[in-house]
Amino acid sequence: MAKMGNLYDATKCTACRGCQVACKNWNQLPAVIEPFKGNYQTHESTNANTFTIVKFFEYDDVYGPKWYFCKHQCMHCEYPACVDVCPRKALYKNEWGAVLKDYQKCVGCQYCVYACPFEIPKYHKESDMVTKCTLCAERVEAGGIPACAKTCPTGALQFGERQELLAIARERVKYLRANGFPNATIYGEHELGGLNKLYILGDVPEKYGLPSEPKVSSITTFWQNIVQPWFGLLIPLALAGSAASFFTTRFLKARREQQEGGATHGTHN
Amino acid sequence: MELITKYEPDVERIERFSFVARFAHWSHTITFVILLLTGLLLFMDSRWDFLAVVFGGYRGAGLIHRIMAVIFTVVPLVCVVLNWRGFVEWWKDVFSFGKNDIKFLLKFPLEFMGFHVDIPPQTKFNGGEKMNSVVTTTSCILVAISGYIMWFPSIFPPTLVRLAYPTHDIFMIIATMMVCMHGYLGSLHPGSGESFWGMVKGTVKADWAEHHHKAWYDKQREQQG
Repeated sequence: MAKMGNLYDATKCTACRGCQVACKNWNQLPAVIEPFKGNYQTHESTNANTFTIVKFFEYDDVYGPKWYFCKHQCMHCEYPACVDVCPRKALYKNEWGAVLKDYQKCVGCQYCVYACPFEIPKYHKESDMVTKCTLCAERVEAGGIPACAKTCPTGALQFGERQELLAIARERVKYLRANGFPNATIYGEHELGGLNKLYILGDVPEKYGLPSEPKVSSITTFWQNIVQPWFGLLIPLALAGSAASFFTTRFLKARREQQEGGATHGTHN
Repeated sequence: MELITKYEPDVERIERFSFVARFAHWSHTITFVILLLTGLLLFMDSRWDFLAVVFGGYRGAGLIHRIMAVIFTVVPLVCVVLNWRGFVEWWKDVFSFGKNDIKFLLKFPLEFMGFHVDIPPQTKFNGGEKMNSVVTTTSCILVAISGYIMWFPSIFPPTLVRLAYPTHDIFMIIATMMVCMHGYLGSLHPGSGESFWGMVKGTVKADWAEHHHKAWYDKQREQQG
């Protein structure tokens, strides 16, 4: 199956947040009420019961204020850091690109929470597990499309094959650049080796709360690629040294005693 | 071939470790081993499923790991308070690292493999034991701190949490290495002999003490008058 993904066009989004509601509805997630922060954004970030949120950004411009909206959720990376760090192999990537989770295996260690360069997976205290967007894999496999894309009234969210979506995105960016959005760009084509959530942005990624060069922390890669596979070998080495000494000490002692003509060496060695 | 030197209660013996010190040592040993086994489940990336069964699955192991972690950190602190003088004496000795200790460390690899070497007089703790004290204690403190950060990650900055994971692993490995060597040297290594009973019964044979820890032995004698 070809890589499937979402294409989110930030320039078409009206921040109706229908996707947020549809996501909650389909995934049967309870409402999370956070204190008012002085803007229209419902939550600070994704949380254990909110897999997707639309973030609001306001900027002053010579032509007046600009108001940007951007839907944030799991990016379903081609090379997901969360899958690498998961010690229970609960996280995995399916054949058409979704990063999924086997909740039978999750033990709530939260390694994935701190490995994700987009800070998306969140810890759910009541179940002691970490939750995130599933790209509605069960809907897609039954022939449907993700709940968020299904509900989007403006056509800002589309679901389809990644290659086709990229072609659409390139056309759209070309149009936007020619029509008053000189900084328009595609996000997710090359970032971190490619994301299965593609974005059409009307401006630079930072202005939409997205890192322009997302990067897995070097501490995490050092831990996963050097410490975990190699440092542990020191333990069998110490055990082997002790085992070797166990035999050589006794062998040498026996030989010494033999040389001394069977006389014991005394109470100390 | 005997595995551990026989305990001889009838000969002259001198006290090496008080009850509190021994209690701290063995409670630390037991909790360390349980922490190690429950922790290795995750470190081994789920390749040790058979071990998870022993602790009631991965969640059971996680719970045991946390309970043991609390004992692992609280008991030594209590013991330090209860046996403050012994604690100070220990660390004073450890930091009086001198020429004889360096000589010990240089000659020790041969002694370890069973060759006969002449070692200069050692204080209560020999050069190797001093190294072990410093490395193991440092590792335990760092493992404990990083462990608590991993337990309650939401109250710490994310970078610190990310740093805690490799720290926990690296110092767990160093501590385990030291424990393997220390456990072997303190029991099955024929040269160490009496030191095992020093930590189990609290006393060691006087002539062993004179041979292995001359400086300490002389001081004890002086104090006894």
